[in-house]
Amino acid sequence: MKLVVASGKGGTGKSMMASSLAILFSENVRVVACDCDVDAPNLGLWLGITEYDSTKRISTSEKATINPDKCVECGECFEACQFGAIERTRGFTINPLLCEGCGVCQLVCPADAVELKKVMNGEIGINEKKLGFPLVSGQLYPGETGSGKIVQELRRMAEEFDHDVMIIDSAAGIGCPVIASVTGCDYAILVTEPTPSGFTDLGRILEIVNHFQIPFGIVVNKWDINPSLSKKIENWSGERLLGKIPYDRKVVDSIVNLKPVVYSDTEVTSEVLKIFEKIKNQS
Amino acid sequence: MLKLSNEGKKVVLCDCDVECPNDYLLLNQEIVDPKPIYRKLPELDEAKCVKCGICSRVCKENAVFWVKEKPPMFFLDLCSGCGACWIVCPNDAIKPKEDLAGEFFVNQLNSNLWLVTGRSKPGISETGPIVGEVKRRAMELAKDINADYLIVDTSPGTHCNVIQALLNCEKAYVVTEPTPLGAHDSALILELIKKMQIPAEIVLNKSDVGDRKQVEEISSNFGVSITIEIPYSDELVRSYSEGKLEEMVDLI
Repeated sequence: MKLVVASGKGGTGKSMMASSLAILFSENVRVVACDCDVDAPNLGLWLGITEYDSTKRISTSEKATINPDKCVECGECFEACQFGAIERTRGFTINPLLCEGCGVCQLVCPADAVELKKVMNGEIGINEKKLGFPLVSGQLYPGETGSGKIVQELRRMAEEFDHDVMIIDSAAGIGCPVIASVTGCDYAILVTEPTPSGFTDLGRILEIVNHFQIPFGIVVNKWDINPSLSKKIENWSGERLLGKIPYDRKVVDSIVNLKPVVYSDTEVTSEVLKIFEKIKNQS
Repeated sequence: MLKLSNEGKKVVLCDCDVECPNDYLLLNQEIVDPKPIYRKLPELDEAKCVKCGICSRVCKENAVFWVKEKPPMFFLDLCSGCGACWIVCPNDAIKPKEDLAGEFFVNQLNSNLWLVTGRSKPGISETGPIVGEVKRRAMELAKDINADYLIVDTSPGTHCNVIQALLNCEKAYVVTEPTPLGAHDSALILELIKKMQIPAEIVLNKSDVGDRKQVEEISSNFGVSITIEIPYSDELVRSYSEGKLEEMVDLI
């Protein structure tokens, strides 16, 4: 079974929820935890992990370069590139930050001046020992492209561990890495907060989850920062509501000390436990 | 941004978090008269297809599936719209077709303040080009009205949608918090900003909670100073959750 935790808006409590669920599930079944927020992976920190047993550098993208000696400055590549990656200064050059490695410039070049090279665009770390279940965590190198493909590779590596439950912590937003995280999951936990942004973004991530026809439940985190909006979201969620978690500044102490929230003595812990029981019964 | 416009400066705010734009909510604006943003996707004319399969071989996204003696099948969910397939097609059987990728809308809040918001269509994977287009529109507007500042709000993360938002900016403000999470993520974005050679400053939010040691280390490692500190305030959390930006500005 694959559970994905997503939210649309950043900072609503995805990784807090995913880390708690991984620990709670692991008490009874075999778990593998995946940090698929490859832009800014934080699941490890929420689980108290800062080091990995093994780290594998991976290459899921290519970048083009123009050989100035061969370039005839015809501008074909400049016209054909859909990503605005080709810059016309003195001659033509490729901005590696914008190059998606699609190879169109190479296809249109009449002078064979474009070379396409594989780049190491990220790494995947595995920690098997500390938690009693494996954590597989991806990192896209800043400025590189191909986050969705890193997520795919990460999930493939995670599949190699024997498990009953895979917990996937998704990135914020609704784009490439999120779609790669949500695809093929059996159940989605959508974490929101009672702010206008939190509620609107819940609607947007829901469109993705519904697109893939994945059953889902909703968690309202920090519900007491705006009880009336929280009530509105709870009513809107109806039977999809998994629970609501209060705002507790002690969670900050927990993360500062790299101590998972489920082991802390906060009001948050008891609510997370209730939500876990509900997910266990529903999924 | 509100502060600048209150001081009489002309400001354009561009919400480049096109996957989850929120600035219009905080500014209590409605989505008015949204204009479409298109991308190009391949469309096959089967009558012209010679079933050679070259389109499938050049596609880096594996979005074109081909078996011998059959026309190709396009999986448009995977397509980035790069155009490789229509460029190589020997018989012009594949043509680019405009497809709705998102929308943008403009709100004028007062005589000094404009907001340009981009929104991707849910299900669109490649959101970087949408950011690029929204920013281009915001830059046009800023030029037209002779704006003093163009402020760009990026999405979280460090990939193409953030790169597009940061492109050509003259100054970057990295907003973080004094926790291991804040330190970890700010190091990543600072690395990108360094690669892009943009001068930066750090804004430390909730500056008086947690432990600021790690963020301070990162600040000195990157040679980027913490110039703005916003202490934690229950009032601020409340006014944010109620979407009252004016109140927040007074509190900061």
